[in-house]
Amino acid sequence: MGKSIRLIVLSLAVVAAVGYLILTGVKQTGMQYMSVTELARLDRAPKSEGFRLDGTVSPGSVVYDQRVPRLQFKMTDGKEKIAVVYDGLMPDAFADGREVVVEGAYKHQDRAIYASKLVTKCPSKYEAKGLGKDKS
Amino acid sequence: MSELGRLALLLGFGCSCFAVGSIAWGLRTGLSGPLRSGRRAVWAVCGLALFAVILLERALLARDMSYRYVAEHTSKDLPLHYAFSSLWAGQEGSLLLWLLILSAYGSAFLLAYRKRLDPFYDAVAMVVASVMIFFTALLSFVCSPFRILATPPPDGMGLNPLLQDPGMMIHPPILYTGYVGFIIPFGFAIAVLLLNRSGTRWIEEVRRWTLFCWGFLGVGILLGARWAYIELGWGGYWGWDPVENASLMPWLVGTAFLHSVMIEQRRGMLKTWNIALIVLTFELSIFGTFLTRSGVLTSVHSFAESNIGPWFLGFILLSSTIATALILYRKALLESENRMEAIVSREGSFLFNNVLFVALTFATFLGTTFPVISEAVTGTKISVSAPFFNRVNVPIALALLLLTGAGPVLSWKRATASVLKRNFILPAFMGVLATAVAIPFGASGVYPLVCIFAAAFVTTTIVMEFARGIQARKDLETGALPSQVAHLVQKNKRRYGGYIIHGGMVVLFIGVLGSSVFQKEAHGPLKNGQALAIGPYTLTLRGVTEQQRQNASLTTAILDVSRGGKFVGTQHASKAFYSKAQQPMTEVALHSTPAEDLYMILGGVNEDGSASIQAYINPLVSYVWVGGLIMVFGIFIAASDKMRLRREEKLAP
Repeated sequence: MGKSIRLIVLSLAVVAAVGYLILTGVKQTGMQYMSVTELARLDRAPKSEGFRLDGTVSPGSVVYDQRVPRLQFKMTDGKEKIAVVYDGLMPDAFADGREVVVEGAYKHQDRAIYASKLVTKCPSKYEAKGLGKDKS
Repeated sequence: MSELGRLALLLGFGCSCFAVGSIAWGLRTGLSGPLRSGRRAVWAVCGLALFAVILLERALLARDMSYRYVAEHTSKDLPLHYAFSSLWAGQEGSLLLWLLILSAYGSAFLLAYRKRLDPFYDAVAMVVASVMIFFTALLSFVCSPFRILATPPPDGMGLNPLLQDPGMMIHPPILYTGYVGFIIPFGFAIAVLLLNRSGTRWIEEVRRWTLFCWGFLGVGILLGARWAYIELGWGGYWGWDPVENASLMPWLVGTAFLHSVMIEQRRGMLKTWNIALIVLTFELSIFGTFLTRSGVLTSVHSFAESNIGPWFLGFILLSSTIATALILYRKALLESENRMEAIVSREGSFLFNNVLFVALTFATFLGTTFPVISEAVTGTKISVSAPFFNRVNVPIALALLLLTGAGPVLSWKRATASVLKRNFILPAFMGVLATAVAIPFGASGVYPLVCIFAAAFVTTTIVMEFARGIQARKDLETGALPSQVAHLVQKNKRRYGGYIIHGGMVVLFIGVLGSSVFQKEAHGPLKNGQALAIGPYTLTLRGVTEQQRQNASLTTAILDVSRGGKFVGTQHASKAFYSKAQQPMTEVALHSTPAEDLYMILGGVNEDGSASIQAYINPLVSYVWVGGLIMVFGIFIAASDKMRLRREEKLAP
């Protein structure tokens, strides 16, 4: 019997270790989804700093200094806007009005997200709507 | 022509249904006629799918803009080879390719076992045919690739510039060949349960099929990483993106299965577990397609979101429910023949290996779907990305790497203390030695040091295994070392092929370690003649040129690269501007050496004429690709074992 108990203990130890890694991983690296409106309407600094936002690039708001390189723009969900600062090269598909996903730290005093990750969604599916209807 | 295409897919749907019905009838009644017609129907679906692909390809190559699919994914200025590969640029075409590969697997399977009159193989074909029902139905009724536009546009929308890359011509078909191939192991598992078959012969057959598609999936994943490295221009090759994870998960579970299946063969244990792993591998490859295509999760790869998500989810639910019910129903069949004798044994190490692989898959699954799960459980949507996976997956992966060295040298049933001492002292010593040597070179941190230790440890055990094998055959063999090694491998291809795969994995780990921990970065605006220093390299801007290509205009920074003051070559870092997509595309310049890659990106040209250059040194990144090639070589050796077996089978009465 000692063998199977040892086996169970060993498996439990592995499960516990992996569980521990996952839990602390989520706690320390998890980013909460927020809408631009929710974040922009906060009147005090939120408890956590890591956030993930979906929205579009507000047209005319893009300031890009490719020497640094630093990309700054306003992101909008149609109602509110929030400033985004991203230190890195502008992604190829990035442009006014494009859908973007931003992950990073929100600094309440600046009312800005300092993005560690910026993903631009591919625009093709929106353009494809211009093709019109199928032949019946 | 489009009507022909629709008709072919509709007929394919009919044939798939017929195949399932006919084989089911044949299995029930034991009549061979229905089984034969069922087999023929599977062949027919393959022919029909091929016909539909040819029709769509004809339209793509002719840029027939009356086809919605052609108008959405090509344009008249698109080079011909990319028009060809845009078959898998969009959802409908990708699904059609899925169907073609699926039906080709079905036909190849029937071809391989055409001499066997055992209805068991018909049952496997029936499972393949029922999955074909799903895909032909999707293509016929939900998202047809043969939709015709009421008013054809003068020109198409063009192909996404990211997909205009040679890598994208081969990566998706190879990845799909891996993904779809797990249908055969799945079919075997379901057939075993349906027909209540025992014995280990099917286990040997299923191992070969799994090895085949597992290899393809691995190559597909690496090609994807290579494509991301060259095409996405962010200096890395793996970002723990949902779609990358989706392809990794079935590969991980498949790896677990390839190991635990050996326990079943040798000791008749873990039967339920093995069936569950096969089912899980298959479901995860369907889930991968679902993730890529549904748009549930945000990914750089989710090119098109669509309405087929629920269909896939429904299919996964249905097929896994059936599989689970069958496993429970046939519990008696899956009874273990032996019990584990000791934890420190080959079985024990395989078991541990399996627990770790499944844990790795589980962590990857959880991280990938965390937004959905956390919303369901707590109401707030939380997402995790690369830092999470690096925290959670890296230690598990390192434990697996260590096990790669330990497992193969532990004996079956029970490893004695003297065996442990004989097999482990030298590898452990080499591991410590390598770690001690690496520290002065700047290696620090627990994980990198563990990785270096493990790499040396595993390499030593592999070399020792080869040496021991040659030693044992000393009196039989004389001759040069290479020929002795070759003969040794020939004698036991599965075993030594496996060791070669392990060796490739070690090389791959070294590459990942080097490129993730020791990456260097530098950037700055350069005017003509100005230089940027990074590590031992100096990049001097020689000028900026403008060029016109078929469907893009190209801005190129010409850089002279020197290493330690010695000129090593001229590199071209470009930005292509695609007029159709109104979008620039970074074209990376790569100076690749065995020790490191110098990776150069043109950020853009500034108003004063200077060029913004970003450069990375990625040490040892070529080890990732070389490790992959070694693994492929090992898979070839391990899989070629079957030829010999087959011949023996034929000789036997």
